Amino acid sequence: MLIRSIFTSFLIFSLSLSPELAAENISGLQIMQKMEDTQRATNDASFTRLKLSSCRFGIKNKRIGCAEKPRVKVLESVSINYGVDNKDTKNVSVTIKPASEKGVGMLTYSYDKAGKDNQTWLYLSALGRVKRIAGGNSDEDTEPASLFGSEFTTEDTDTGKLSEYSVNLLGEAVISGRDTWKIEAIPIGNRVKKSRYSRTLHFVDKERYVALRSEMYDRYGKEVKRSIASRVELINNNWVSRSITMMNLVSNRLSNMALVEIYTDLKIDEEFLTQRTLTDTAYREEKLSQLRTQLD
Amino acid sequence: MSSRLSQLLFSALIMWACPSNSEQTESFNQMSSDLTFDEDFLDFDVDEFDEELSSWRDNFVIRVSHQVFGQINSHQVEPIPDLKIPKSASVENHRTGINIRYQNAIAPGWLVQGTWQGRIYWKEDYEYEANNNHVEHEYRVNELFVQKSTQGQSFKLGRQTVVWGETIGNSVLDVINHNEFRDFTIIDVEDTRLNQWMLLWDVFDEAASWSTFINLYPEFNPRPVRGGPFDFDLGYEINTVDRGNDPIFEVGSQWRKSYGASDVSIMAAYLYENQLRYEGSTPFSDKANPIKNDYILVGFSANRAIGKLLLTLDVALKSGVLIDGSSFVGVGSFNTPTDLKKDQVGMSLGFEYGITNYQTVSLGIQLKKMKNERLGLSEDQILPNQGIYGSWLFRYANRLKNDDLELSATLQGNLKGDAALFAGNAAYKINDNWTAGLQILTIHASETSELQYFTNDVRLGAALTYSF
Repeated sequence: MLIRSIFTSFLIFSLSLSPELAAENISGLQIMQKMEDTQRATNDASFTRLKLSSCRFGIKNKRIGCAEKPRVKVLESVSINYGVDNKDTKNVSVTIKPASEKGVGMLTYSYDKAGKDNQTWLYLSALGRVKRIAGGNSDEDTEPASLFGSEFTTEDTDTGKLSEYSVNLLGEAVISGRDTWKIEAIPIGNRVKKSRYSRTLHFVDKERYVALRSEMYDRYGKEVKRSIASRVELINNNWVSRSITMMNLVSNRLSNMALVEIYTDLKIDEEFLTQRTLTDTAYREEKLSQLRTQLD
Repeated sequence: MSSRLSQLLFSALIMWACPSNSEQTESFNQMSSDLTFDEDFLDFDVDEFDEELSSWRDNFVIRVSHQVFGQINSHQVEPIPDLKIPKSASVENHRTGINIRYQNAIAPGWLVQGTWQGRIYWKEDYEYEANNNHVEHEYRVNELFVQKSTQGQSFKLGRQTVVWGETIGNSVLDVINHNEFRDFTIIDVEDTRLNQWMLLWDVFDEAASWSTFINLYPEFNPRPVRGGPFDFDLGYEINTVDRGNDPIFEVGSQWRKSYGASDVSIMAAYLYENQLRYEGSTPFSDKANPIKNDYILVGFSANRAIGKLLLTLDVALKSGVLIDGSSFVGVGSFNTPTDLKKDQVGMSLGFEYGITNYQTVSLGIQLKKMKNERLGLSEDQILPNQGIYGSWLFRYANRLKNDDLELSATLQGNLKGDAALFAGNAAYKINDNWTAGLQILTIHASETSELQYFTNDVRLGAALTYSF
């Protein structure tokens, strides 16, 4: 589930360049809804390389930067959609760096159907075998979790479940020299108890439909986290931010999630998304090598 | 010696408490909106990234560690009435280690993997003292295999580990590889396994797999390391195992399949008991002879995930195991001089629960019972384990500070309730390379326990590790 979330996080700030959304009379909810569809399309048959950098941050000359050497994790991830209406996802992800975590792999089957628990298997070389993880459906059952020890949580990167939010278009603003819509998302119902935020403000680029900035507020109205998106590029007809930085304003730490490479619409055998890929390194490397040839 | 240990622990604590970079940062409650982000530290050059990931150095993972560990409670024990043995605080482990792991997909479908370890034992380490107070060193190959995988099969030849069973920590099916509990710095069975030279053949079919191994050179749990905490003066020497003229081997097969929220396995194997039994010295020899014993294993294992709860079950039926086996040389192995073979039923039950995304608790219980255990024994022959016996293990783990800090507590004991061991661990990732760890371990045992010699021991240790 974590891998799926990390993978889709690039898309939460990205929207398909769709003609119907180009009209001025759109609601925040419509924008969020379109994003859900875009996420599934971009998840399907994809190969991704992610770089997750975390550090304590500081400000110099009105520029935010790392105040220490960042901690870096590199992951390779492969996903396919399947099931009814292609709404379920199989994902396998393997840590490439740091050296101390190299080879740690996770296989996740995520189900769209409410009440059906996701399945996760973890391969740890210390255990010498694949271990099933009982985590339930982290979207629904548990509190938000950190993604690989970063400042991103499952709540920050989760998509869908729009009915659990009151989404309002508040107005317009200029962010980084670009015209944006200011959209407010307030958790309602059961989401209130599960959410760490009382509300989130998204500043969405009017032309490219990318949230250039998001601000998360706690129940006292204090801004506790802020994300900044950059390197917005058109990938497979979707505007995607290839760099998202999440700043934790309480701990003064930030994490940057860099989508170094993403390829979609690849030919991926469903067999690759099985436990064998976690344990059989020779098989995994051969299949990944075949995937890379599709990229060239 | 204990003051030196304290100094090292204090140093580790200082490193733990201090951030790895002294550069000061501004503190702010509310950030200005016109700040921009400095992405200079990010690297988006894909070619450079590919090159970096395909570097030959990435085939190696090297870990260098330095460890100090010792018994800090001065007290005395009375293993037998009126025999009081004073135990003073002392360093037991003072060593530097290097572990090298190499993994390389040398060609499509081919993989070579190996791990090697080296150790240097410094002054105050028990290995140093056992080496006539000279610096001792050790080197060994832990793992070394070549693997060939095709579309539906995989062959792995070399020194490797095969793990069966679902219950973490004390599965009755985790018997393929032999173990070495060298001292108290490693108490988790996952860390004690020793690799063996084997051929492993896996066949994959969608959600199911067959895994078969053959081991043409079975190895046995090594005897306690000279000078180590489990090395007692038995009054006689122990011979090495006699393999005889006939080659000995082990072979086994496991079938595994996933059904929804469960994974199910069945397995069968012809094995040798990892723990040797020792025959006492005779008028013709003042050395004890190890006896190797073969047996048949039939097993079943399954898990079931229910929300945040994971249940595991392992069942092992062993035919022809020695009735007086014990992992303590000189305890069970000698006081019942019989080579009587029996059938044994074993079961491991596991409960793992994720309290939150960061906290987990688990409980594992292992139960064993010999079939007709008194049949063939005289009344004065006492077995080290009678009736239903086994062990339990409870673990709590918590990850804090963005996974930088990992805390864990392990409590384990036997079903007789005459001994319990508590271990607390803390590991702090200072950065991507450096990790500092602290460990505390206490033992409480009754007069009847095999661990009685270690009762009221308190061990404290620290380790600093650099990985690259």
